[in-house]
Amino acid sequence: MSISLTLARPLARRVVDLPEPMQNPTIMPVPEGVIDKAFEALDAGHTHYTDRPGILPLRSQIVNALNRHYRLELNADAATITCGATEARFVALKQLVASSSTVLHAGSGSVLQAAAHLIGINLATTPDLNVSLVYLTPHDVPAQVLALCAQAVLHGWWVLFDVSSGLTGDFHPAQRADLAPQVITVGSFSSTLPGWRVGWMAGSKAANKLRAYKQSMTICTTSISQWAVLGLEDV
Amino acid sequence: MNNANPNIPEDVRTVAADGTQLRYKLMELSAQYPDAIALGRGDPDLATPVHIIEAAKAAIRDGHTASTPVAGLPELRAAIAAKLRAENGLHVDIENVIVTTGGQEGLYLVMQTLLDAGDEVLVPDPRYTSYDEAIASAGGKIVLVPTTHEDAFNLRPEAIEAAITPKTKVILIITPSNPTSGIVTEDRLRAIADIAIRHNLIVISDEIYEKFLFDGWQHFSIGSLPGMEDRTITLNGFSKTYAMTGFRVGYAAAPVNFIQAMTRVKAATTGAAAAVSQWAALAAQTGTQAPIEEFHRIYAERRTLMMDGLTSLGLNYSDPRGAFFLWTNSASTGIHATELAYLLLKEGRVLIFPGNAFGENWGSYLRISILQSTDLLVQALERMRPIIERYRAQESA
Repeated sequence: MSISLTLARPLARRVVDLPEPMQNPTIMPVPEGVIDKAFEALDAGHTHYTDRPGILPLRSQIVNALNRHYRLELNADAATITCGATEARFVALKQLVASSSTVLHAGSGSVLQAAAHLIGINLATTPDLNVSLVYLTPHDVPAQVLALCAQAVLHGWWVLFDVSSGLTGDFHPAQRADLAPQVITVGSFSSTLPGWRVGWMAGSKAANKLRAYKQSMTICTTSISQWAVLGLEDV
Repeated sequence: MNNANPNIPEDVRTVAADGTQLRYKLMELSAQYPDAIALGRGDPDLATPVHIIEAAKAAIRDGHTASTPVAGLPELRAAIAAKLRAENGLHVDIENVIVTTGGQEGLYLVMQTLLDAGDEVLVPDPRYTSYDEAIASAGGKIVLVPTTHEDAFNLRPEAIEAAITPKTKVILIITPSNPTSGIVTEDRLRAIADIAIRHNLIVISDEIYEKFLFDGWQHFSIGSLPGMEDRTITLNGFSKTYAMTGFRVGYAAAPVNFIQAMTRVKAATTGAAAAVSQWAALAAQTGTQAPIEEFHRIYAERRTLMMDGLTSLGLNYSDPRGAFFLWTNSASTGIHATELAYLLLKEGRVLIFPGNAFGENWGSYLRISILQSTDLLVQALERMRPIIERYRAQESA
């Protein structure tokens, strides 16, 4: 049998030179609590679509953890469960940053590279006239973060705060009331549950818009994975 | 009939022009009524087969929970390729297959991988409007191809040919169709293949409902036809066939260079599908297929019940040759489908999607799903009756 190697028409220009995926499977022991929750969900028939934002208990746990750690006042209605932080970051960039615009990052921007290439946006470490979003993490230099937050308020830039490596540090851009509506926080459970593909995005005045776009991509995140994550001791 | 009726609440009216948002808004409203009977969303109500649940548990117990390759578990890709060769006649192997996070993601990734700004996609009208979003997100342009009730919403090759312009890149085929439950028959598919080859077009063939055809109709895959293997992208998934929508596993089959590029797009947008879900899907694909026969029997019984019930309500529907829906003409009620759907929910506690949630031209249709038990379907019909009759009487007067 001969198989087809090449599509009869050219592919989209955006996929040319798109980076190859990094393959780095991490094998982690699954906590007993996660196994128990997953089995409970399977036995209870939670094998169908969840609602679009994701299951409420998980969204509540996420915003409660954020509120507790960073002294925020986020509501579960402003949280959406995603297929890992990858989807959360992509959705935010795709919906909030126009093609040819610039995303400013204080530390490493490597996790944004493929998404930025696909959308046609520029990554930069110094501001230009086309900046529309700043990407920050708790590991960035605090003084630089504060300065960028001040500029974000001044220029109306979106702020994507990525806590996918964990809730660390005391500072969160949404602590500034004048910036909070522009701050989207993204995170994931992949450091402890890598193959379950559960991430999230929370906050901002664009929360509904981001949720709708996530729904258009993948409808909802895997139901069993969402229930299983509830078995983690520290969401 | 118009869509600006003041009887419809503002929050429904404001999203009425966006099919997807309208469906979600009605589902949100429905959640306020615990006794509502949901005949809206296309989520099978039947339980996921036990052997699939057990496979998921085994994967967890055995530690098969690490991230898989972005294109999917090799075992699952191989099983899908074998299925596509054996059942669909496609000339594919493992490298022609990518596992996606549900069928909808498959569609999204395909459009991102294929379309440049301004490329035109021929889409049958009516259609599941998530196609619109996927196409628009990639900068593509939808060109609607009309289908008709009289023709059981079969796609007409001459209508496709008439819609082709120098910018046309893709013909999208959905068979069986959501929302009409019509199919594209083999003779038409052969003619469409000739058109695709003649005009050097790509065909995206969404076959997610392939296992549920009725009255002797048979599924046929356009990708199996000579000359189509390098211009067909076949989409399918496990959600509908095995009643496992929450696992989020779909797949696409296409030429190797396309799958490689699609894998890179998937890595940039969502990453691999959940590992446990993929092991469950592998069990679905390689295990007993007896549950599908049982599902088919159940759906056939419900379909007959609903067809008889709608006829008794004086409503006619197009010939439902496949899938889970009755595409029902509601013009005799004299009110727009959005208002009728809202009233059926508010007064009758029955969630049904209006036809205009599947294209702006369909404000005199309803999409009614059969994804409830026969008891609930009977109740739903009883609840619908006084509302339908009241409006029909007003219309007659």
